[in-house]
Amino acid sequence: MLDRLSLDGKVVLITGGGTGLGLAMTRALARAGANLVIAARRAGPIEEAAQEVTALGRQALAISTDVTDSVQVEGMVVAALKHFGRIDVLINNAGAVRENVVKPIWEITDQEWRQVMDVNLTGAFYCARSVAKPMSERGKGKIINVASGFGLRGGRDIYMYCISKGGIIQLTRTLAFSLARHGITANTIVPGFIPTEATQADIRESLPRSGAFLPVGKLGRPEDLGPLAVFLASDASDYMTGEMFIADGGGLAGGLAPTGYAPVVELEP
Amino acid sequence: MPILPEFNLAGRRALLYTAGGDEAPILAQALAEAGASVVVVSRKSPLAPPSTSSGRGLYERGEGNGLSVGADLRVGPGQTHRPAPTGVTSMVADVTTPQGVSQVMAALESGGHWPVDILVNDARSFFAKPASQISLAEWEAVQARNSRAVFLLCQALGAVMVRRGYGRIVNISSGLAERGLINGAAYCASQASVLALTRALALEWGPHNVRINALGTGWSSPQDTPPEVQQQEQLVRYIPLRRRGRPRDIAPLLVYLCSEVCDYVTGQPVYVDGGLNGRA
Repeated sequence: MLDRLSLDGKVVLITGGGTGLGLAMTRALARAGANLVIAARRAGPIEEAAQEVTALGRQALAISTDVTDSVQVEGMVVAALKHFGRIDVLINNAGAVRENVVKPIWEITDQEWRQVMDVNLTGAFYCARSVAKPMSERGKGKIINVASGFGLRGGRDIYMYCISKGGIIQLTRTLAFSLARHGITANTIVPGFIPTEATQADIRESLPRSGAFLPVGKLGRPEDLGPLAVFLASDASDYMTGEMFIADGGGLAGGLAPTGYAPVVELEP
Repeated sequence: MPILPEFNLAGRRALLYTAGGDEAPILAQALAEAGASVVVVSRKSPLAPPSTSSGRGLYERGEGNGLSVGADLRVGPGQTHRPAPTGVTSMVADVTTPQGVSQVMAALESGGHWPVDILVNDARSFFAKPASQISLAEWEAVQARNSRAVFLLCQALGAVMVRRGYGRIVNISSGLAERGLINGAAYCASQASVLALTRALALEWGPHNVRINALGTGWSSPQDTPPEVQQQEQLVRYIPLRRRGRPRDIAPLLVYLCSEVCDYVTGQPVYVDGGLNGRA
């Protein structure tokens, strides 16, 4: 019954798969038996990631792609299909973190708004649109989107990130309900605070500096997402669709009081 | 077939409480297949064997837990014992009282199934009746088996987990924890209670490396009925994936949620419901 957790021979296309959370997922997916198409804007990191995958005995294809350009996205999917013959799983992981601006609303320019919305939300939509048809023709496929705890709660002056990630969660639900009849499922991974190289930028100022602010008492590691991605990419998650898998150290379970707030009040007579 | 070693539960001791339904054998079998030794506490009848065969186990099974397979740990009123899946021991007990839970703990300790690393509560004893007709006794019984028992087991075993600095608890619950249903007042309330308990305990025991999550289910059935037959029912056609869930649909996720690598996930429900939560 647990052999359905294996990804033996499956083809997984992951965007943003050469760095940060994406790289950790790529590694776990390959260890579980998947062949990978790794896409991102910069060629260097995805080529290195592809070498890691190949070293594990799986096949890998690195494709430089800017997900905000639908022509490039379509080209990426065509190239992946040409190389592997099919795409079993799409992981929409590419996201703008570095470019995120933490600003009062009156200082945000049109360009800043569009830049983040384009990468985080429109890019995921383009990728889903391009894989949906070939997946539906096979009657099977999985789309995994990566959102954020900020997609469910507001962050002070973090407009585009919160709004685009909230949009990702709704994209997932709509894909799930619409594509269920074609054998395609869609789910969202919702990571909490997991420091990566990219979060050392501006947005870092708004994030907790230590795990003391989280119920589990520590920050997440990119590796925490590996087994989650494997489960969602595998046949073991076939009956799960439209859902969120939240990995946030307990942050969203609380929130009405600061972490550690522990009142003791006797029962009233 | 490469399977991440992270999903291995070898050397772990698990306790699975089942309040009703027939899904427990498959869930217990999944934990055993992942390498855990498993004791099932059943509210009513002893564990029946799983309705489908599992094929070969994927993990090398660790050393036994000291209990012989099928050993009778029964502490409830006399009932006959039916065979449990390999690697799984079952007992009947009333865990809706602290005394009942203490008896179970004592039986586990004397049987060598101690300390317990993993607690799984499958407290989904279904009940539906117009609210105006629900008797106080019925209300109390539903809350006792579906909610109070879960609290008492979490309290007793959680204390040990906190002391040891390690534990994994999974509360299997229904999507009705977050949605309403005509005639479902008592059952919906019991499931919401378990979900709220899950969130609160996750915060309280998070710093002690005890992780507590809910595994949410939709309309499920242990029977393998062909989808075409199921779809004659309007309820099934309402499910985006157009079939009822089976225990094996949630079994691999259960294994993950019970594993050590389920470390940054806590206080959350994860729903495997065929798309019900996401639909309009």
